[in-house]
Amino acid sequence: MIFEGLVEWVSVVARGFSYTLHNGAFTRYAMIGFVAILAAGYHAWATGTVGEATRELQTAGPVPIAGWAMLVVATCGLVMLHRNRFLALILIGIVGLMVSVGFVFLSAPDLAMTQFTVEVVTIILLLLALNFLPNTTPVESTPLRRIRDAGVAVVGGLAAFALAYHYMLRDAVTSPISEFHLAISYKGGGGTNVVNVILVDFRGFDTYGEIIVLGIAALLIYALTETLLRGPVRARLLNRIPDQAQAGDVHPMMMVVLTRVIMPLVLLVGFYIFLRGHNEPGGGFISGLVVSIAVVMQYMASGFSWASARLRYPYHGVIGAGVLIAGLTGIGSWFVTRPFLTSDFTYVRIPPFEEFELATAALFDLGVFLAVVGAVMLSLESFSRLARRAGSEDSKFAMDINPERDDPSAEAATTGTGGAP
Amino acid sequence: MEFLVASAIGLMVAAGIYLVLRLRTFPVILGISLLTYAVNVFLFASGRLVIGAPPVLRDDVTQYADPLPQALVLTAIVISFGMTAVVVMIGLGAFLGTDDDHVDDQSEATEPQGQA
Repeated sequence: MIFEGLVEWVSVVARGFSYTLHNGAFTRYAMIGFVAILAAGYHAWATGTVGEATRELQTAGPVPIAGWAMLVVATCGLVMLHRNRFLALILIGIVGLMVSVGFVFLSAPDLAMTQFTVEVVTIILLLLALNFLPNTTPVESTPLRRIRDAGVAVVGGLAAFALAYHYMLRDAVTSPISEFHLAISYKGGGGTNVVNVILVDFRGFDTYGEIIVLGIAALLIYALTETLLRGPVRARLLNRIPDQAQAGDVHPMMMVVLTRVIMPLVLLVGFYIFLRGHNEPGGGFISGLVVSIAVVMQYMASGFSWASARLRYPYHGVIGAGVLIAGLTGIGSWFVTRPFLTSDFTYVRIPPFEEFELATAALFDLGVFLAVVGAVMLSLESFSRLARRAGSEDSKFAMDINPERDDPSAEAATTGTGGAP
Repeated sequence: MEFLVASAIGLMVAAGIYLVLRLRTFPVILGISLLTYAVNVFLFASGRLVIGAPPVLRDDVTQYADPLPQALVLTAIVISFGMTAVVVMIGLGAFLGTDDDHVDDQSEATEPQGQA
């Protein structure tokens, strides 16, 4: 009796406890998470000691202050105006742009190039999503709730500021491993761009895992799209009426011609960035993103069906090939009785040219490149496949108006499907 | 310079937390993106701020920025794109399936919100 009574009582208490915390509201989980992190941070702060500042504050000229001001205005504007979702997207674009400019200024050219190109694909992705989502966020939360959220946000922001400001003014407790990386980069990895050498030589295993994660994320998006398109959502998408006026000229001739002309140019830039990666800012990640943007431009300008008709290799295969190439490069080092992913390099001179470097890391970087291209393209393609089901028929031709095509019936067909001008 | 970077991190964290606590999927996604920027800059700043000394080896230079945080943040930026895409897809799927983009479970009584 006592035992059963005890069990009964414990389960009632436990139920009361977990149902209050776990009520299906994401905002509540997020709030619990933030408050718990802040409490833990405060505890660490209150019980720890802070050493003397060992670094001088660096003076900031007018240019960094201007960039900072733009970031501050865009972030504040984002919070104020987040209900207008298109505007919010433009503002978050400004924030991302200022972050990448900041990376350039603070001696991180690789990061700036990555941030900048990721920014482009992220905005395209969010635009594709906004195509379906409502364009405004209604006012729902009570003023009290907003004040409570703002309170937590301000405390969190101040904590992050204080933490960042404190450690930037102090040197590391022990000398960081980075000095070792800087010293051994050229001797051990054969490259002068230390960031890239860390990625493909010193921490290759890490990078290998990361491209696999990226590939899994893209495949997950593909799987979700497939499931959506098989279920009841398909009918809903087919019957969907666009909530905004559609452009009359879906595939403008200027844009089509321009994107096709610059396509080889962009590919050349991507190739150049890929090859110089080991010694100058660049590498597999960045060139993968640059090439993805080149391909996305073709989708945007010439239309989904035109671009996919010219697609030679499915993107899943590209991801797989990337991971395989990187993995096989790693396995290659087993044959010379070295651990997985040991890199090697040599210098070759073919007479009329300068001496150049051949590294296994370049092969590994090729795997990274392919995985990034495949992952970015597979995610964006999945999103546009949703859009494709959602109504507007694809036009038969890449360009709505093409002077080369003087067949009037074909002309009528395209303008008909493209919508009234 | 340190003050500018630290205050930018703080502001992005504050704005990110506020937006994550909103009730609809889209602001939550924007909030997560802002938090991503803040975390990336924070990790990058753990290499301390150095102006005009990129970690690309030159014969006549001895002072370089810390390359390790940069390498870690570089992959973090790319992965965060993949994760953002997954979150956006989940949010979009939920909205297309139920015509409702709340992040909280809606009880039956308050279900129809009159979405356009």
